[in-house]
Amino acid sequence: MRASALTPALGLTLLAAALGCARAGAPAAAAAPAAPPPAATAAAQPPAGAHYTLDPAKSSLEFIFLQAGAKNTGRFPRFTVGLDFPGADPAGGRLDVTVEVAALETGDKDRDETLRSDDLFAVTKYPQAHFTATRIVRTATGFDAEGPLTIRGVTRDTHVPFTFREASENGATVGYMAGKTVLRRLDFGVGQGDWKATDQAGNEVTVSFNLRLTRAMR
Amino acid sequence: MTLRNTTQRWGAIAQLFHWLIVALIIVQLTLAEMADDLPNGMRKLTLLSRHKSFGITILMLVILRLIWRSLNAHPPLPDNLKPYERKLATFSHGALYALLFAIPLSGWTMSSARGFPVSWFGFFQLPDLVPRSRPLYEALVTTHVTLVGVLLAVVALHIAGALKHHFVHKDDVLKRMLPFT
Repeated sequence: MRASALTPALGLTLLAAALGCARAGAPAAAAAPAAPPPAATAAAQPPAGAHYTLDPAKSSLEFIFLQAGAKNTGRFPRFTVGLDFPGADPAGGRLDVTVEVAALETGDKDRDETLRSDDLFAVTKYPQAHFTATRIVRTATGFDAEGPLTIRGVTRDTHVPFTFREASENGATVGYMAGKTVLRRLDFGVGQGDWKATDQAGNEVTVSFNLRLTRAMR
Repeated sequence: MTLRNTTQRWGAIAQLFHWLIVALIIVQLTLAEMADDLPNGMRKLTLLSRHKSFGITILMLVILRLIWRSLNAHPPLPDNLKPYERKLATFSHGALYALLFAIPLSGWTMSSARGFPVSWFGFFQLPDLVPRSRPLYEALVTTHVTLVGVLLAVVALHIAGALKHHFVHKDDVLKRMLPFT
Protein backbone atom coordinates (compact mmCIF):
# COMPACT_ATOMS: atom_id res chain seq x y z
CA MET A 1 0.00 0.00 0.00
CA ARG A 2 2.66 2.44 1.07
CA ALA A 3 4.91 1.75 -1.88
CA SER A 4 2.13 2.06 -4.43
CA ALA A 5 1.04 5.34 -2.90
CA LEU A 6 4.59 6.61 -2.86
CA THR A 7 5.54 5.68 -6.40
CA PRO A 8 3.56 8.38 -8.23
CA ALA A 9 4.60 10.97 -5.66
CA LEU A 10 8.24 10.01 -6.10
CA GLY A 11 7.84 10.07 -9.88
CA LEU A 12 6.39 13.56 -9.70
CA THR A 13 9.18 14.74 -7.43
CA LEU A 14 11.79 13.39 -9.83
CA LEU A 15 9.96 14.97 -12.75
CA ALA A 16 9.80 18.29 -10.93
CA ALA A 17 13.47 18.01 -10.08
CA ALA A 18 14.32 17.25 -13.70
CA LEU A 19 12.28 20.22 -14.93
CA GLY A 20 13.73 22.47 -12.26
CA CYS A 21 17.26 21.48 -13.21
CA ALA A 22 16.57 21.98 -16.90
CA ARG A 23 15.34 25.47 -16.09
CA ALA A 24 18.37 26.19 -13.97
CA GLY A 25 20.47 25.56 -17.04
CA ALA A 26 22.63 22.81 -15.60
CA PRO A 27 21.28 19.69 -17.24
CA ALA A 28 24.61 17.91 -17.53
CA ALA A 29 25.30 17.94 -13.84
CA ALA A 30 21.86 17.51 -12.39
CA ALA A 31 19.53 15.81 -14.85
CA ALA A 32 21.38 12.50 -14.87
CA PRO A 33 20.35 11.25 -11.42
CA ALA A 34 16.76 12.34 -12.01
CA ALA A 35 16.37 10.67 -15.41
CA PRO A 36 14.35 7.46 -15.18
CA PRO A 37 16.48 5.22 -17.45
CA PRO A 38 19.54 4.23 -15.40
CA ALA A 39 21.91 4.36 -18.36
CA ALA A 40 20.85 7.89 -19.27
CA THR A 41 23.47 10.51 -19.82
CA ALA A 42 22.57 14.09 -20.50
CA ALA A 43 24.25 16.04 -23.20
CA ALA A 44 24.93 19.69 -22.62
CA GLN A 45 24.69 20.16 -26.34
CA PRO A 46 23.80 17.75 -29.08
CA PRO A 47 26.74 16.45 -31.07
CA ALA A 48 27.32 17.82 -34.54
CA GLY A 49 25.65 16.17 -37.45
CA ALA A 50 22.86 14.53 -35.55
CA HIS A 51 19.50 13.87 -37.12
CA TYR A 52 16.58 12.78 -35.01
CA THR A 53 13.20 11.33 -35.89
CA LEU A 54 10.19 10.70 -33.74
CA ASP A 55 9.46 7.59 -31.73
CA PRO A 56 5.67 7.96 -31.97
CA ALA A 57 4.91 5.25 -29.43
CA LYS A 58 6.68 7.15 -26.67
CA SER A 59 5.78 10.69 -27.62
CA SER A 60 2.80 12.90 -26.97
CA LEU A 61 1.51 16.16 -28.34
CA GLU A 62 -1.32 17.68 -26.32
CA PHE A 63 -3.42 20.80 -26.35
CA ILE A 64 -5.02 22.27 -23.27
CA PHE A 65 -7.96 24.63 -23.62
CA LEU A 66 -10.65 26.25 -21.54
CA GLN A 67 -14.16 25.02 -22.31
CA ALA A 68 -16.96 26.71 -20.39
CA GLY A 69 -14.37 27.98 -17.92
CA ALA A 70 -12.93 24.52 -17.24
CA LYS A 71 -9.61 23.06 -18.33
CA ASN A 72 -9.83 20.33 -20.97
CA THR A 73 -7.12 18.35 -22.69
CA GLY A 74 -6.93 16.94 -26.18
CA ARG A 75 -4.16 15.27 -28.10
CA PHE A 76 -2.85 14.83 -31.61
CA PRO A 77 -2.00 11.13 -31.88
CA ARG A 78 -0.49 11.40 -35.36
CA PHE A 79 2.41 13.70 -36.12
CA THR A 80 5.99 13.57 -37.36
CA VAL A 81 9.07 15.36 -36.10
CA GLY A 82 12.45 15.82 -37.71
CA LEU A 83 15.21 17.57 -35.79
CA ASP A 84 18.61 18.34 -37.26
CA PHE A 85 21.60 19.67 -35.42
CA PRO A 86 24.20 19.89 -38.19
CA GLY A 87 26.90 21.68 -36.24
CA ALA A 88 27.94 22.53 -32.73
CA ASP A 89 25.99 25.77 -33.02
CA PRO A 90 22.27 25.02 -32.68
CA ALA A 91 21.55 28.10 -34.82
CA GLY A 92 22.08 26.00 -37.92
CA GLY A 93 19.55 23.49 -36.70
CA ARG A 94 16.18 22.77 -38.17
CA LEU A 95 12.98 21.44 -36.66
CA ASP A 96 10.17 20.13 -38.84
CA VAL A 97 6.83 19.16 -37.38
CA THR A 98 3.77 17.98 -39.28
CA VAL A 99 0.59 17.34 -37.34
CA GLU A 100 -2.39 15.40 -38.67
CA VAL A 101 -5.00 17.77 -37.26
CA ALA A 102 -7.84 15.58 -38.47
CA ALA A 103 -6.72 12.83 -36.10
CA LEU A 104 -7.30 15.00 -33.01
CA GLU A 105 -8.82 13.35 -29.94
CA THR A 106 -10.38 15.02 -26.92
CA GLY A 107 -12.03 11.95 -25.45
CA ASP A 108 -15.45 12.97 -26.75
CA LYS A 109 -16.61 12.08 -30.27
CA ASP A 110 -19.11 14.93 -30.51
CA ARG A 111 -16.53 17.46 -29.46
CA ASP A 112 -13.93 16.00 -31.85
CA GLU A 113 -16.44 16.33 -34.67
CA THR A 114 -17.12 19.95 -33.73
CA LEU A 115 -13.38 20.71 -33.61
CA ARG A 116 -12.91 19.19 -37.08
CA SER A 117 -15.79 21.21 -38.54
CA ASP A 118 -15.40 24.12 -40.95
CA ASP A 119 -15.79 26.80 -38.25
CA LEU A 120 -12.89 25.38 -36.23
CA PHE A 121 -10.02 23.33 -37.70
CA ALA A 122 -11.76 22.78 -41.08
CA VAL A 123 -9.85 19.52 -41.50
CA THR A 124 -11.25 18.62 -44.92
CA LYS A 125 -9.58 21.71 -46.32
CA TYR A 126 -6.63 21.89 -43.91
CA PRO A 127 -5.87 18.35 -42.72
CA GLN A 128 -2.39 19.19 -41.47
CA ALA A 129 -0.57 21.80 -39.43
CA HIS A 130 3.11 22.53 -40.01
CA PHE A 131 5.91 24.07 -38.04
CA THR A 132 9.33 24.63 -39.55
CA ALA A 133 11.92 26.20 -37.34
CA THR A 134 14.91 27.46 -39.25
CA ARG A 135 16.40 29.28 -36.32
CA ILE A 136 17.20 27.45 -33.12
CA VAL A 137 18.94 29.37 -30.37
CA ARG A 138 20.18 28.39 -26.95
CA THR A 139 18.35 30.01 -24.05
CA ALA A 140 18.82 30.04 -20.30
CA THR A 141 16.42 27.12 -19.99
CA GLY A 142 17.20 25.13 -23.12
CA PHE A 143 16.47 26.05 -26.71
CA ASP A 144 14.10 28.25 -28.63
CA ALA A 145 12.90 27.25 -32.08
CA GLU A 146 11.56 30.01 -34.26
CA GLY A 147 9.81 29.77 -37.57
CA PRO A 148 6.52 29.73 -39.47
CA LEU A 149 3.64 27.80 -37.94
CA THR A 150 0.73 27.08 -40.25
CA ILE A 151 -2.64 26.07 -38.83
CA ARG A 152 -5.87 26.16 -40.87
CA GLY A 153 -3.99 27.76 -43.76
CA VAL A 154 -2.82 30.74 -41.69
CA THR A 155 0.92 31.14 -41.20
CA ARG A 156 2.44 33.02 -38.28
CA ASP A 157 5.96 33.32 -37.02
CA THR A 158 6.06 31.39 -33.76
CA HIS A 159 8.52 30.65 -30.97
CA VAL A 160 8.60 27.21 -29.43
CA PRO A 161 10.84 26.86 -26.38
CA PHE A 162 11.99 23.35 -25.54
CA THR A 163 14.41 21.36 -23.48
CA PHE A 164 16.53 18.66 -25.03
CA ARG A 165 18.74 15.98 -23.63
CA GLU A 166 20.31 12.86 -24.97
CA ALA A 167 20.33 9.50 -23.31
CA SER A 168 21.84 6.16 -24.07
CA GLU A 169 19.32 3.35 -23.91
CA ASN A 170 20.31 -0.23 -24.75
CA GLY A 171 23.24 1.03 -26.74
CA ALA A 172 21.19 3.43 -28.85
CA THR A 173 21.31 7.19 -28.51
CA VAL A 174 17.92 8.79 -28.03
CA GLY A 175 16.84 12.37 -27.48
CA TYR A 176 14.18 13.62 -25.10
CA MET A 177 12.53 16.85 -26.18
CA ALA A 178 9.84 18.61 -24.18
CA GLY A 179 8.23 22.00 -24.06
CA LYS A 180 5.08 24.00 -24.32
CA THR A 181 3.89 27.15 -25.90
CA VAL A 182 0.71 29.18 -25.71
CA LEU A 183 -1.06 29.94 -28.98
CA ARG A 184 -4.10 32.09 -29.58
CA ARG A 185 -6.48 30.05 -31.72
CA LEU A 186 -8.06 33.15 -33.31
CA ASP A 187 -4.63 34.20 -34.67
CA PHE A 188 -4.97 31.19 -36.96
CA GLY A 189 -8.67 31.56 -37.71
CA VAL A 190 -9.55 28.54 -35.56
CA GLY A 191 -12.95 29.90 -34.64
CA GLN A 192 -15.29 31.33 -37.23
CA GLY A 193 -18.89 32.44 -36.79
CA ASP A 194 -20.09 31.79 -33.22
CA TRP A 195 -16.69 30.36 -32.31
CA LYS A 196 -15.08 33.80 -32.59
CA ALA A 197 -16.40 34.40 -29.09
CA THR A 198 -13.92 33.39 -26.42
CA ASP A 199 -16.03 33.28 -23.24
CA GLN A 200 -17.00 29.60 -23.62
CA ALA A 201 -14.04 28.41 -25.70
CA GLY A 202 -10.88 30.19 -24.59
CA ASN A 203 -8.68 31.91 -27.13
CA GLU A 204 -5.47 30.76 -25.47
CA VAL A 205 -4.52 27.16 -26.10
CA THR A 206 -1.46 25.60 -24.49
CA VAL A 207 0.32 23.17 -26.76
CA SER A 208 2.55 20.82 -24.84
CA PHE A 209 4.85 18.09 -26.11
CA ASN A 210 6.91 15.30 -24.65
CA LEU A 211 8.89 13.55 -27.33
CA ARG A 212 11.28 10.66 -27.57
CA LEU A 213 13.50 10.93 -30.63
CA THR A 214 15.77 8.34 -32.10
CA ARG A 215 19.07 9.46 -33.54
CA ALA A 216 20.82 8.69 -36.78
CA MET A 217 24.24 10.12 -37.63
CA ARG A 218 24.52 11.71 -41.07
CA MET B 1 -40.58 40.26 9.16
CA THR B 2 -37.45 39.30 11.07
CA LEU B 3 -34.32 37.78 9.52
CA ARG B 4 -34.54 34.73 11.75
CA ASN B 5 -37.47 32.34 11.91
CA THR B 6 -39.96 32.60 14.75
CA THR B 7 -42.38 29.94 15.97
CA GLN B 8 -45.07 31.89 14.06
CA ARG B 9 -43.49 32.29 10.61
CA TRP B 10 -40.43 31.85 8.45
CA GLY B 11 -37.88 34.68 8.65
CA ALA B 12 -36.49 36.64 5.72
CA ILE B 13 -33.41 34.44 5.27
CA ALA B 14 -35.39 31.19 5.13
CA GLN B 15 -37.87 32.78 2.71
CA LEU B 16 -35.04 34.08 0.54
CA PHE B 17 -33.55 30.55 0.31
CA HIS B 18 -36.97 29.08 -0.53
CA TRP B 19 -37.91 31.53 -3.28
CA LEU B 20 -34.42 31.89 -4.75
CA ILE B 21 -34.26 28.11 -5.21
CA VAL B 22 -37.76 28.16 -6.77
CA ALA B 23 -36.57 30.81 -9.25
CA LEU B 24 -33.37 28.91 -10.03
CA ILE B 25 -35.26 25.66 -10.64
CA ILE B 26 -37.39 27.49 -13.23
CA VAL B 27 -34.21 28.92 -14.83
CA GLN B 28 -32.67 25.43 -14.87
CA LEU B 29 -35.67 23.81 -16.54
CA THR B 30 -35.73 26.60 -19.15
CA LEU B 31 -31.98 26.38 -19.91
CA ALA B 32 -32.10 22.58 -20.20
CA GLU B 33 -35.16 22.70 -22.44
CA MET B 34 -33.57 25.33 -24.71
CA ALA B 35 -30.25 23.47 -24.94
CA ASP B 36 -31.98 20.16 -25.67
CA ASP B 37 -33.31 21.38 -29.02
CA LEU B 38 -29.99 22.80 -30.23
CA PRO B 39 -27.35 21.12 -32.36
CA ASN B 40 -23.83 20.94 -30.88
CA GLY B 41 -22.30 24.37 -31.08
CA MET B 42 -21.47 27.53 -29.23
CA ARG B 43 -25.05 28.31 -28.24
CA LYS B 44 -25.59 24.88 -26.73
CA LEU B 45 -22.24 25.09 -24.96
CA THR B 46 -23.16 28.49 -23.49
CA LEU B 47 -26.60 27.38 -22.28
CA LEU B 48 -25.28 24.18 -20.74
CA SER B 49 -22.37 25.92 -19.03
CA ARG B 50 -24.87 28.34 -17.40
CA HIS B 51 -27.07 25.36 -16.49
CA LYS B 52 -24.10 23.73 -14.73
CA SER B 53 -23.14 26.94 -12.92
CA PHE B 54 -26.73 27.52 -11.71
CA GLY B 55 -26.96 23.85 -10.68
CA ILE B 56 -23.87 24.21 -8.52
CA THR B 57 -25.38 27.43 -7.14
CA ILE B 58 -28.50 25.48 -6.10
CA LEU B 59 -26.32 22.84 -4.44
CA MET B 60 -24.47 25.55 -2.47
CA LEU B 61 -27.74 27.27 -1.52
CA VAL B 62 -29.26 23.99 -0.28
CA ILE B 63 -26.23 23.35 1.94
CA LEU B 64 -26.44 26.87 3.38
CA ARG B 65 -30.20 26.51 3.74
CA LEU B 66 -29.91 23.31 5.78
CA ILE B 67 -27.25 24.91 8.00
CA TRP B 68 -29.54 27.91 8.52
CA ARG B 69 -32.49 25.58 9.20
CA SER B 70 -30.50 23.75 11.88
CA LEU B 71 -29.69 27.05 13.62
CA ASN B 72 -33.27 28.31 13.71
CA ALA B 73 -36.67 27.58 15.18
CA HIS B 74 -39.28 26.38 12.70
CA PRO B 75 -42.93 27.26 12.82
CA PRO B 76 -44.68 23.92 13.55
CA LEU B 77 -47.36 22.27 11.45
CA PRO B 78 -50.88 23.03 12.71
CA ASP B 79 -52.25 20.66 15.39
CA ASN B 80 -55.42 19.78 13.49
CA LEU B 81 -53.60 17.79 10.78
CA LYS B 82 -54.56 14.15 10.28
CA PRO B 83 -51.67 11.68 10.82
CA TYR B 84 -51.44 10.87 7.08
CA GLU B 85 -51.28 14.60 6.26
CA ARG B 86 -48.50 15.09 8.76
CA LYS B 87 -46.62 12.10 7.29
CA LEU B 88 -47.09 13.41 3.77
CA ALA B 89 -45.75 16.84 4.77
CA THR B 90 -42.66 15.37 6.46
CA PHE B 91 -42.05 13.01 3.54
CA SER B 92 -42.40 15.69 0.87
CA HIS B 93 -40.12 18.17 2.67
CA GLY B 94 -37.47 15.48 3.18
CA ALA B 95 -37.77 14.40 -0.45
CA LEU B 96 -37.41 17.99 -1.68
CA TYR B 97 -34.18 18.50 0.24
CA ALA B 98 -32.83 15.12 -0.88
CA LEU B 99 -33.65 15.86 -4.52
CA LEU B 100 -32.10 19.32 -4.35
CA PHE B 101 -28.87 17.55 -3.40
CA ALA B 102 -29.18 14.58 -5.72
CA ILE B 103 -30.07 16.47 -8.90
CA PRO B 104 -27.07 18.85 -8.98
CA LEU B 105 -24.77 16.03 -7.85
CA SER B 106 -26.01 13.73 -10.60
CA GLY B 107 -25.49 16.56 -13.10
CA TRP B 108 -21.98 17.25 -11.84
CA THR B 109 -21.11 13.52 -11.91
CA MET B 110 -22.61 13.27 -15.38
CA SER B 111 -20.32 16.06 -16.62
CA SER B 112 -17.32 14.33 -15.04
CA ALA B 113 -18.24 11.01 -16.68
CA ARG B 114 -18.58 12.78 -20.02
CA GLY B 115 -15.13 14.30 -19.55
CA PHE B 116 -16.38 17.90 -19.48
CA PRO B 117 -15.24 19.37 -16.14
CA VAL B 118 -17.62 21.81 -14.43
CA SER B 119 -16.71 25.40 -13.76
CA TRP B 120 -18.72 27.79 -11.59
CA PHE B 121 -19.31 30.75 -13.92
CA GLY B 122 -15.62 30.58 -14.90
CA PHE B 123 -14.53 31.59 -11.38
CA PHE B 124 -13.34 28.19 -10.29
CA GLN B 125 -13.23 24.66 -11.59
CA LEU B 126 -14.78 21.78 -9.67
CA PRO B 127 -12.97 18.46 -9.35
CA ASP B 128 -14.15 15.54 -11.46
CA LEU B 129 -16.15 13.13 -9.30
CA VAL B 130 -15.69 10.05 -11.51
CA PRO B 131 -13.35 9.08 -14.32
CA ARG B 132 -14.49 9.45 -17.91
CA SER B 133 -16.90 6.68 -18.92
CA ARG B 134 -19.49 6.73 -21.68
CA PRO B 135 -21.80 4.03 -20.18
CA LEU B 136 -21.71 5.78 -16.79
CA TYR B 137 -22.49 9.08 -18.51
CA GLU B 138 -25.51 7.55 -20.28
CA ALA B 139 -26.76 6.08 -17.00
CA LEU B 140 -26.34 9.40 -15.21
CA VAL B 141 -28.24 11.29 -17.92
CA THR B 142 -31.17 8.94 -17.28
CA THR B 143 -30.75 9.40 -13.52
CA HIS B 144 -30.59 13.20 -13.77
CA VAL B 145 -33.70 13.40 -15.97
CA THR B 146 -35.62 10.87 -13.85
CA LEU B 147 -34.82 12.73 -10.64
CA VAL B 148 -36.08 15.95 -12.21
CA GLY B 149 -39.34 14.15 -13.04
CA VAL B 150 -39.61 13.01 -9.41
CA LEU B 151 -38.83 16.56 -8.22
CA LEU B 152 -41.65 17.98 -10.36
CA ALA B 153 -44.06 15.40 -8.91
CA VAL B 154 -43.06 16.21 -5.32
CA VAL B 155 -43.25 19.95 -6.07
CA ALA B 156 -46.81 19.40 -7.34
CA LEU B 157 -47.64 17.63 -4.06
CA HIS B 158 -45.95 20.47 -2.12
CA ILE B 159 -47.99 23.14 -3.94
CA ALA B 160 -51.19 21.12 -3.55
CA GLY B 161 -50.49 20.85 0.18
CA ALA B 162 -49.85 24.59 0.52
CA LEU B 163 -53.07 25.41 -1.34
CA LYS B 164 -55.05 22.93 0.77
CA HIS B 165 -53.75 24.60 3.92
CA HIS B 166 -54.78 28.00 2.60
CA PHE B 167 -58.15 27.27 1.02
CA VAL B 168 -59.41 24.16 2.84
CA HIS B 169 -57.89 24.30 6.32
CA LYS B 170 -57.78 28.12 6.13
CA ASP B 171 -54.61 28.19 8.28
CA ASP B 172 -51.46 30.32 7.91
CA VAL B 173 -49.09 27.62 6.57
CA LEU B 174 -48.89 29.16 3.08
CA LYS B 175 -48.90 32.75 4.32
CA ARG B 176 -45.97 32.25 6.68
CA MET B 177 -43.70 31.50 3.68
CA LEU B 178 -44.94 34.52 1.68
CA PRO B 179 -42.79 37.65 1.99
CA PHE B 180 -45.46 40.35 1.82
CA THR B 181 -48.13 39.01 4.13
